Amino acid sequence: MTPAQFEKQIEPRWQKLEKLLKEAEQSHPTAAVEELPATFRQVCHDLSVAQHRMSPQRLTQQLNALAIRSYRVLERHSAGGWEAFARLFLLEFPQAVRAEWKLFWWCTALFYLPAVLIAVITPWYPEWAMTLLGPGGMMQVESMYGEASKPSDYVRESFGSGFSAFCFYILNNVSIDFRTFAGGILGGVGALFVLLYNSIQLGAVFGYVHYSGNPLTLYTWVVAHGAPELTGVVISAMAGMRVGWSVLRPGRVDRRTALVLAGRKALPLLVGAAVLTSIAAVLEGFWSPMDLPLVIKFTAGGMCWLLVAAFLLSSGRRQADAA
Amino acid sequence: MAAARADTLQSVELADGVEIQLRVAGPAVRSMAYLTDLLIRLGIDIVVAIIAFWLLPDLIGEEMTRGLMMLFAFFMEWFYNVFFEAGAKGATPGQRSMKLRVMSVTGGPVSLAQAVMRNFLRVVDFMPGLYLTGIVCMLFTKRFQRLGDLVANTVMTYAEVPQFIAPHVEIRAERRAPSQVLTREEQAALLQFLERAPLWADERRIELATLVEPLTGAAGVEGLQRLCGMALWLQAPEDKSGTPPPLKGAAMLRS
Repeated sequence: MTPAQFEKQIEPRWQKLEKLLKEAEQSHPTAAVEELPATFRQVCHDLSVAQHRMSPQRLTQQLNALAIRSYRVLERHSAGGWEAFARLFLLEFPQAVRAEWKLFWWCTALFYLPAVLIAVITPWYPEWAMTLLGPGGMMQVESMYGEASKPSDYVRESFGSGFSAFCFYILNNVSIDFRTFAGGILGGVGALFVLLYNSIQLGAVFGYVHYSGNPLTLYTWVVAHGAPELTGVVISAMAGMRVGWSVLRPGRVDRRTALVLAGRKALPLLVGAAVLTSIAAVLEGFWSPMDLPLVIKFTAGGMCWLLVAAFLLSSGRRQADAA
Repeated sequence: MAAARADTLQSVELADGVEIQLRVAGPAVRSMAYLTDLLIRLGIDIVVAIIAFWLLPDLIGEEMTRGLMMLFAFFMEWFYNVFFEAGAKGATPGQRSMKLRVMSVTGGPVSLAQAVMRNFLRVVDFMPGLYLTGIVCMLFTKRFQRLGDLVANTVMTYAEVPQFIAPHVEIRAERRAPSQVLTREEQAALLQFLERAPLWADERRIELATLVEPLTGAAGVEGLQRLCGMALWLQAPEDKSGTPPPLKGAAMLRS
């Protein structure tokens, strides 16, 4: 068979494929689309033959492009919409946290221990907290949680200001989560840095408020939204560390594969951290500034911590056992 | 395949067993696509901000408007690329303007998870500025992948085949068998030479033909003529019609 004959022979097949593709790429494919997989395989076969026979590049390139195009249509992912997203957060996220429980406790320890340490030493060595906060930070803390402040200082009247605050927390805090995760790829250094930095800043604020402010104002303000927010910080660092760890210790696969696998494992963690932080933003925007008796504030705050813990500990356990 | 390659084609074996070739895109064209996207995003940001601050404050109040704009900024920053790359076209408007497309290394379209991974890691690829990490990383990987691409297992490819213009040129070379047995790669090189020669100047053809003097045993115009003859022979070893047929895209001498 001469090249010209070969070209003539295969032409109807790829023209048919092209026609079917055009239909499939539109939103309402016709019944003829059922023939697409079979036609695709035929054209793939033709492509192999053309490559082997060293047919003109014009032909192989055209068939190659057609094969890629059909593969895109055949392999089209349907993202699954909100149901898949809910599943990812409600089931896969707690499962992923439990699967990496060692990493979770490491990150938790790295976040809370330095904070507690700084806060505890402040009464004896206040210069540590003062240095960490700097003059500007100290003034800000004084003005927010100073001795003259009351828990009811942070009441916001209008829905608009609450909403605006909520949006600000989304923009700021969720972005920090994402950046923390991204920084993790540098062998975990970036995620670790953000974790420790936030930790000692937090410790300095708490220590300083105990030292020279009104701790009650601070605690009534943060007790509820602190639960999802701090957990979100820890878990986003955990997602980053997961990726960074695969660079440092890829295990039995090569680094490139380890990175891809770690990325897949980190995704539910990242999404979970972002959702937790968004929940924190809702609480911080609307719940925390409400003027309610302290008992209610602290009961609700305690409930938030319990809920987060119970969610991470138990959600998706049955599904994981069944699978 | 030969050890050192001059093109950017990457072979991928699909699940169906066929080998396809992806034409991966390098840092230069990707930078252009990125800058285009940056301008588009800037334009969208400005237009939306003007319209929002012009219309919305009267309807929903000053603070709500500011809040909405912050949400908008958040989604533009993190999800502009994700939205378009995970969409049907697999490319942002800027990438489409450069005829690029993001693909999974396996040859399929990118999933939402992959799009999220590759775009969230831009933060690190950008460090310490102007995507330095990403560009260095691209230069060290054979598929021009930055860190985000490595984690997401994606490649940036050209979406369209360069249009091949097949010139109609009469061949006036005598068909002849190659003086020695050629490997498949060498045969392919000869056939491609014949295909592409009409696009070059005479000097360039002669220059290239002279490089294979060990095969043709002659330099200059004579070498080119012999080379074309061998390529013709590879296309069709037996000459049935007696006179060489005018082939599409075959190389010739105008002199």
